[in-house]
Amino acid sequence: MLRPLSMLGCTLILAACAVRMPAVPMHRFLDGDLDAVAAAMRTEQQDGAEENTALVLNILAQCELFLGDPEAAWRDFGTAGRIMGNWQTSGGEAVAAIVGSEGSKTWKGDPYEKAMNAFYLGLCYLWRGEPDNARASLKRGILADAEIGDEKFQADNPLLFWLAGRMSLLMGKDDDAEDFFKEARTANTFARQHGSRADDAEAVLGRPRDGNLVLLVECGLAPAKVAHGDLDELARFESRWHPAERARVELDGRVLGETVVLADLDYQARTLGGTEMEGIRKGKAVFKKTSLIGGAALLHVASRGRGDSARTSAIVGGGLILFGLLTSTAADIRHWPTLPATVQALTANVTPGPHTLVIEFLDAAGRAVPELHQTWSIDVPNASQTYYLFRSLPGLDRQATARAAVTGPDRTEVHP
Amino acid sequence: MFHHRPVRPVLLGLLVLASALATSACAGTIDRRVDPDAPDEVGGAVLQSQDIRTMAENMARDLASSGLLTSTADNQTVTFHIIGMENQSSDVINREIIISKLETQLFKALGGRIRVLDRSGVGLEAVKREREAKRSGAVAGNAGKRGDVLGSDYVLYGVIRDRVQQGGKLKSAYYNVVFTVTDLETDQKVWQNDYDAKFLSEKSVISR
Repeated sequence: MLRPLSMLGCTLILAACAVRMPAVPMHRFLDGDLDAVAAAMRTEQQDGAEENTALVLNILAQCELFLGDPEAAWRDFGTAGRIMGNWQTSGGEAVAAIVGSEGSKTWKGDPYEKAMNAFYLGLCYLWRGEPDNARASLKRGILADAEIGDEKFQADNPLLFWLAGRMSLLMGKDDDAEDFFKEARTANTFARQHGSRADDAEAVLGRPRDGNLVLLVECGLAPAKVAHGDLDELARFESRWHPAERARVELDGRVLGETVVLADLDYQARTLGGTEMEGIRKGKAVFKKTSLIGGAALLHVASRGRGDSARTSAIVGGGLILFGLLTSTAADIRHWPTLPATVQALTANVTPGPHTLVIEFLDAAGRAVPELHQTWSIDVPNASQTYYLFRSLPGLDRQATARAAVTGPDRTEVHP
Repeated sequence: MFHHRPVRPVLLGLLVLASALATSACAGTIDRRVDPDAPDEVGGAVLQSQDIRTMAENMARDLASSGLLTSTADNQTVTFHIIGMENQSSDVINREIIISKLETQLFKALGGRIRVLDRSGVGLEAVKREREAKRSGAVAGNAGKRGDVLGSDYVLYGVIRDRVQQGGKLKSAYYNVVFTVTDLETDQKVWQNDYDAKFLSEKSVISR
C-alpha cells in the first residue's frame, strides 16, 4: 500500500518541479545563425514550459532585433518585461519553489537581466519614435538594478543612466538629463572602484550630450549561472570566454575610435548579493543530508534488531530516506545565456548623409578578430540623432540592415 | 504482534500533503471574461484598465460640466484637439489608449456641441493627400463639402508622472496623471484636472 503511494508522491513532486533551462543552441548563436536560434525559441515558446516564457521571449527578441525586425523585438521584449517586472507571486508557486524545486517558479530573471530587458526595450521604443517610453523603460531598468541584495551596488549601471539622460534631452527635459548624466558618472566611478571593467568613459560620460551618431556595441558573452555545493544548493556565476573584448570603429575609412565599456554584466552578476532562497536551499541541504544519514542509521539499527522496535526503526528510517530523496536542494540556474559580457558605446559628430561603417572587434591583446568583421551602410539624418546597436557575432551585416532611430524634440521618424 | 498503525498514517499524511503541494503548482489555468473596472489580478504596480477607464470618464465629465468647450461669446462651436500625452513615469504605456478613451468619452458627453480635430500626423497627412487629389481632379469631390482645414481654439494634453519607492521587500508606485486644456489664442491654461493611483507590491521570498 505504502510503496505505490510513495512512488506516486515521488512522481508527482518530480513532475511538478522539473522546469529545465530552455534548449538554446548556443553554437548556432555564436556562429551568427540567429534564424536557427529564433526557430528554436519559437518551438520552446510553443512546446516548452510556461514558466520559461519571459526567458524564451527575451532570447527570441534579441534574435529578431539583430535580424532587423525591431517591431517584433519590441513586442516580445515588452511581454517579457511585463512578466519580469511583476512582483506578484501566487502562494502555490511560492510553496512549490520552497518545498519542491526552486526551478519550478516562473523565470523573472536576476536584476542585471531585468536591466538588460529594459535596455533593449528602451532602444525599441526609441526606434519607434517614443523617447518618453524609452526613458520609462530605462528608468524601470534602473529600479530593477536596485533590487539586488547588497544595497551598496544598487545604482551602478552607467549605461542606463546615460541613455535615460539622452532620452530626457530628446523629450526636451534638460534638467532631468543633467541629473541622469550626473548619476551616470557617479555610477561609473563606483563600478570602476569595485571591480567593473567599465572604462573611465570620459569620451562618452564627460560629454554625454555629444554626438549625432550613437553606436552601442555588445561584446562577448555574459556569465553563466551554475550550481555549486555538495547538493547543487548554491548558484554561482562563471565567466565565459569570447574573443571579442572591444570594438574599433571606422567611418568612411577614417578611424572614429574605440568603444568604451559602460555596462559590465560579469560585474553586475557578481555583485547581486545573497537571497533569502539561498538560505532556504542551504537549510534544505542540511535537512536532506540529516534525513539521509538519520534514515540510513535507523535502517542499520533495524537490520540488526528484532521485533516491534526494529520494524518501527525501519519504517521511520525509510520515511526519512524517502523525504531526504524527495527534498530538492538544487538552485535555480536558469539564466539568459545570449546576453553580452559588456555593452560599450561610442559617439561621434558626423556629417549627415550616407556613410560606410566598419566595426572591427578586438581581442584582449587589441588584435582584430577577422571573422567578426562587420561592414554596415548607415544614414545619418539632418539635425537629429541616430542610434545603432551591434553585436560581436559573425555575419550579422550580411543578414540584416542596420537599425537606427532618428529622433528629436520636434520631429520623430523611424528608419528600419 | 507488530504494531505499525501509529507510523503508517503519519507517512501517508505526509505523502498526501506532498502530493497536494506538488499538484498545487500545476493547478488549472484561467480563461474567462473579466470586468475591466475590477482590480487587475495580474498585479504589477502599474496603471490598469480600471485606472484608464476611470480617468477618462472623470476627465470627460469634468471637462463637459465646466462648460468651457460649449460656451463661446458668439455661439460658435468650439474646436479643439488632443495633442497627446507625455510619459514621464517609469512604466512604459501605450499613451494612445488613454487619449482614445478620453476622446470617446468627450464625444459621448458633448456630442455635436464641439468639434474635435484630428491633429495626428496620420490624420493631417490623410487630409492633405485627399484635398490635393480632389483639387487636382484626380478624384471626385463633393462640392458642398469644400472648406478650409479648421484651426483649433483649445488643445488638451496630458502628462503621466510617478514616484516609485523600493525598500526591502516592498515597492510602492504612485501615479499622477494631469490633463490640461490651453487656450491656443492666449496660451492660458483654462482647465486642469488630475487622476491619482497608488500601488503597493511585496516581493515573494522566492524572488530575488
